[in-house]
Amino acid sequence: MKTTTAKSLRVSKKEGVRKPILAFLKSLLTDAVFDAILIPMQVPAGDSYAWVLVKDPSLLDQANPLAPIMPVQGAKALKSLTRKGEGNLKIAAVMRPCEVRASVELAKLNQIHLESITLMSVDCPGVLPVADYFENPGESEKRFNAMLSENRWGNGSMKSVCQICEQFSILPSSDFHFGLMTGSESSVVLISSSPKGQRVLKDRSLDGSVSLSDWENGIESIRQERKKERTKRFREVQSMVEGFDGLLKTFARCIGCHNCQSACPICYCRHCYFGSEASKLDSDFILKKAEQRGGLSFPLDRRMFHVGRMSHMSLSCVACGLCSDACPVSIPVADVFSFVADQTQRTFDYKAGEKREEPLPIRQYRLEEIKGVEEWVKDAEGVES
Amino acid sequence: MKEPFHPKIVSFLCKWCTYSGADLAGTSRMQYPPSILPIRVMCSSRVNPVFVIKSYLSGSDGVLIGGCHPGDCHYQSGNYHTRRRIAILKKVFDSIGLETERVRLSWISASEGSKFARISEEFTGKIESMGENPTKKKVFL
Ligand code: SF4
Ligand code: SF4
Ligand code: FES
Repeated sequence: MKTTTAKSLRVSKKEGVRKPILAFLKSLLTDAVFDAILIPMQVPAGDSYAWVLVKDPSLLDQANPLAPIMPVQGAKALKSLTRKGEGNLKIAAVMRPCEVRASVELAKLNQIHLESITLMSVDCPGVLPVADYFENPGESEKRFNAMLSENRWGNGSMKSVCQICEQFSILPSSDFHFGLMTGSESSVVLISSSPKGQRVLKDRSLDGSVSLSDWENGIESIRQERKKERTKRFREVQSMVEGFDGLLKTFARCIGCHNCQSACPICYCRHCYFGSEASKLDSDFILKKAEQRGGLSFPLDRRMFHVGRMSHMSLSCVACGLCSDACPVSIPVADVFSFVADQTQRTFDYKAGEKREEPLPIRQYRLEEIKGVEEWVKDAEGVES
Repeated sequence: MKEPFHPKIVSFLCKWCTYSGADLAGTSRMQYPPSILPIRVMCSSRVNPVFVIKSYLSGSDGVLIGGCHPGDCHYQSGNYHTRRRIAILKKVFDSIGLETERVRLSWISASEGSKFARISEEFTGKIESMGENPTKKKVFL
């Protein structure tokens, strides 16, 4: 049973939302509610962010639960942390909603262990493309903070996937949530939605007389706008990739580096076919292929890589956009993948990472399948079931 | 004169059913088109979607996946997983505008030699009407 409790943190307009959130997290560390907190922190050079597992409460002053960029997906950090199973420490992971969702997907694949982890999500205004940020980190920080304090969400300078993200707020799968979109702008709402989350609010002396409706309305109105935009953008992406020639064009610049895959939090196969021995061809065979076609371009099999990846992982894609950030030749990889993912996930009425109890569609089946799928296969099969 | 189009259909056939069905069609001297290039697999669920994509991008005009009827898989549930995987693959093809009709999943048992012959015939006809795989002559893949 889900039990939801809400409280709130006071925010002064001058300070912004970060300080009170960090102070709250600090109290959780000093009061030993958690043994450590995993959170983004600016690197010493001041030009990027890294995930840091914080033990010393004073270090939290440098943390940033709302970093302007996402150079490494949080689920990747959590995966390295819990790779060998759950530990004994109680850890809180403060993440963007798409990071929570990726973590939940990986947990379903037994690649992350969530037993001792409390997933804390924050309302996400989006993140900037890393390339834009790196051009001038100082300026970018200022720009991002201004957007945040003026409540200009869904801003055009965020990553394209962020601009059409509908799951930027509380999720059924997170334990605890920081709601920032408060109409009054003078408080952050704290919502616990699981027994682990309840532990966080227990014994905190906080303002308990919160009404969530302002916040909920704020979220909903953004969501409605995004929904419209999303339909429009997806249509554009679809016409861009349409047909084999569309696919060729969209990925024409691809240099086959597979960075998109390495940055992806989801790509979960321990040994990927692409790049494996099995994928290598002998030269006679390649020559024959070249002969049939008049010529053959290298690196080999770039389109196969992309379509293969879609068929393997799109059911769990969380549209975080890390693949686009990672592409050295600026291909809008995430726009294509999140569109395809929307389609495949719809087929199974599945939303990656939204609910922990929903099993991965590829690990299950029904004797009589849900209509769409069944008919499809029947169609393709033509004859009988 | 243009050469007539003889399609090639890479066919992944389950050893326990469709492959034996194809054998039966052969030993019973049933006619079926030479377009079918059978590859024996231990179960239809052995077919990684990448095999299908690879066949398609290597110029195969059609790809057939043959498995045991639902409920009859030698490994209990392999074919149910196949059904989901192929559904996903077709949805991927569909969303990026590749021709889903070139991929076909059929349930054919070891005793259904005639069904194998009929489906081969029918699928070959369908591919003939669709024409050559458009990726066949591409230099950039
Ligand atoms: S494919 Fe791209 S957008 Fe989807 S989960 Fe992987 S990195 Fe994120
Ligand atoms: S990161 Fe970009 S260039 Fe590298 S494989 Fe992916 S799409 Fe191709
Ligand atoms: S054994 Fe034939 S489909 Fe699994």
